[in-house]
Amino acid sequence: MKHNAPQSSISIDAQQLVVNLNNKTILNNLSFQVASGEVYALLGGNGAGKSTALKTLLGFHKPVSGQAVIGGLPVSSSFSAIRKKIAYLPENASLYPHLNAFENIEYFLSLAAVHKTHAEIKMSLQQVNLQQDAWKQPLSKFSKGMRQKTAIALALLRDSPILLLDEPTSGLDPVAIDEFNLLIMSLAKQGAAILMVTHDVYGACQVAQRIGLLRDGRLVGEFIADGEDQIDTEQVHKAFTAGVID
Amino acid sequence: MKQNLKSIQPVIIWEIARDEWRYWFRSKLAVVALLIGLACTVLTVVVSVGDAVELEHQRGHAQQQSEQTFVNQPDRHPHRMVHYGHYVFKTPPPLGMVDPGVDSHTGNAIFLEGHRQNSATFADQKQSSGTTILGALTPAFVLQVLAPLLLVIMGYGVVSRERETQTLSILAAQGLGYGNLILGKISALLLVAMLMLLPLAIAGVPVFLHGEPLLTLSMFLFSYLLYLSIWILIIVSVSLWAKSNSISFSTLAFTWLVLCILMPRVATNAAGVMVPAAGKLEKDFAVVAELRQLGDGHNAKDEAFAQLKTELLNKHNVNRVEDLPLNFRGLVALKSEAEMTDILNRYAEDRMREELQQSFFARQFGWLSPQVALRTLSMLTAGTSLETHHRFLRETENLRFTFVQKLNQAHTNKLNYIDDVNRNKSQEAGQIARISAKNWNVIEGFMFRPSPSKERALKAMTPLAQLLLWFGLFCIFLRNLQRHYS
Repeated sequence: MKHNAPQSSISIDAQQLVVNLNNKTILNNLSFQVASGEVYALLGGNGAGKSTALKTLLGFHKPVSGQAVIGGLPVSSSFSAIRKKIAYLPENASLYPHLNAFENIEYFLSLAAVHKTHAEIKMSLQQVNLQQDAWKQPLSKFSKGMRQKTAIALALLRDSPILLLDEPTSGLDPVAIDEFNLLIMSLAKQGAAILMVTHDVYGACQVAQRIGLLRDGRLVGEFIADGEDQIDTEQVHKAFTAGVID
Repeated sequence: MKQNLKSIQPVIIWEIARDEWRYWFRSKLAVVALLIGLACTVLTVVVSVGDAVELEHQRGHAQQQSEQTFVNQPDRHPHRMVHYGHYVFKTPPPLGMVDPGVDSHTGNAIFLEGHRQNSATFADQKQSSGTTILGALTPAFVLQVLAPLLLVIMGYGVVSRERETQTLSILAAQGLGYGNLILGKISALLLVAMLMLLPLAIAGVPVFLHGEPLLTLSMFLFSYLLYLSIWILIIVSVSLWAKSNSISFSTLAFTWLVLCILMPRVATNAAGVMVPAAGKLEKDFAVVAELRQLGDGHNAKDEAFAQLKTELLNKHNVNRVEDLPLNFRGLVALKSEAEMTDILNRYAEDRMREELQQSFFARQFGWLSPQVALRTLSMLTAGTSLETHHRFLRETENLRFTFVQKLNQAHTNKLNYIDDVNRNKSQEAGQIARISAKNWNVIEGFMFRPSPSKERALKAMTPLAQLLLWFGLFCIFLRNLQRHYS
């Protein structure tokens, strides 16, 4: 069962993507769409192809067939321009350990030619709830959760209409996860198209309007929220663990 | 191509270079390496320039003193003055302050005397104490050998570090192309190289004031910048290719060892094997054997001069050498010195030709090592190459032959043969067999000057081409590598 996003506002369009890495098929005819104002969660276990799907959308992997279009531009020929439109949050927030949170954000923004004032950066760090006394500490002293918050702040500051999030709540404490989920939903309401890959069934159900279940690189099912209601966690959990989709 | 140029963003490149410098300042190893490198360059430049100025003064003084001592000798038998001899000194060229080249091994002074071609002496290396005899730390050595190592220590991780910490994907996700990233890293390392060259550029002021033309000075500095740029390209290429910091560092350390330490020695050894030359002892024996056939120039009755005697007696229509209008012993000395010098020059030219052939062979290793190319280029431009040393030997030999023959001429013309023959019979006879000290004014003021700037530049074209080839090849290699990873 596949539910397409409204055609008029599609921001991410993956069409029958096939990606082989090391002679192994990682994505197998993967198709999905994400519209503006929508949070789409690609849910799957380890090795399902979630991160590969994101990296393919970023142009890091070339599909052997199929194509991805982001913001109306084909990834294969315009990945450089597309990357400037996208805010990408990797699973491991790999920022520079010799720089502090503030410097990391300033540096990455300068490379993306995004100009933000110190006040805006401070606001973003407050938004992700990174304690103020840590702002000027080098990231080598940060916990995984603190690094993740810094990376989230960076992603938010990009003001991108499209967000690609790879296991965004990994390493965050429950309070921070709740705050992050609220933030994501708020961004979607403001019109951002958000694609997150995760193996966290509960988190996905909490924020996503649609969930695609990924197994062996293939989309084996989709769940869609009914109006204001969240997707049924139990149903998704059952499908995720059993591998059976109604 | 237009698209490629458009994608180059100077602001981004500057940001990347600035961050690399920030990383180095926060990394203790990089700061220590940078400080050591800078200290070595500054100290060697300061010490070398100071030494060179002092040596120039000393040599100038010694040259003047040597000439004065010779000229101030009292009335003597002219042949005693032939053996008295005197020293000539090679004033090092201005750029010799930075690169003493072969001068530190060959010596800068020669004792000129009759019947002998002495080797240059007073080489810095031979005068050194036990601790410094293995090689003095010159600015040229620091920049040719140590500066690349410093660049390796600072730059091995410029890209591989980003790969290891997985920041490369974040950078790419910001829309940053590999081209700008690589140019940023190159710019950061280029600043280090320029910082290391700064003391050399400052040393250019006294070098310029000592008469080195601006063209030579510019070419000299450019060649060092080109050399360090080649190393920067090598470092960034390896760092881009390597999967980890450790692979990058070990590959670069090995490359440095091969290109800067092994290859120059392989070049010298290979030249010795491929262009064989007879040993000094062997040659000395051959020279002595040939000289013996000439006869003893001190003995006018030697059979070797019988023909000369006959010709002179016939020419002047006399029966005895005592009746000749000229001193026969002086004529024998003139002829003997000329013949002897012909043989000595022939052997000297053979030796110099062999040395040049060996040197030419060794210099071809510049196609295999940029350090060998720069070493050659540096010495040729500075005027401290083997060619310059050979010119010094030829010029001093010419000076030696001229002054000896002038004394022999005075012996022939101004000293009576009978007085000359009887000089050892009594003290009074010895006093009679002398000529005026005015005749000692036979020494021309010797001043060895570096070759003209253009001549040196032309000779340096081949090693310059070698360096440019290295630079071009690594530009292409890095470009392809960048495209591959993009």
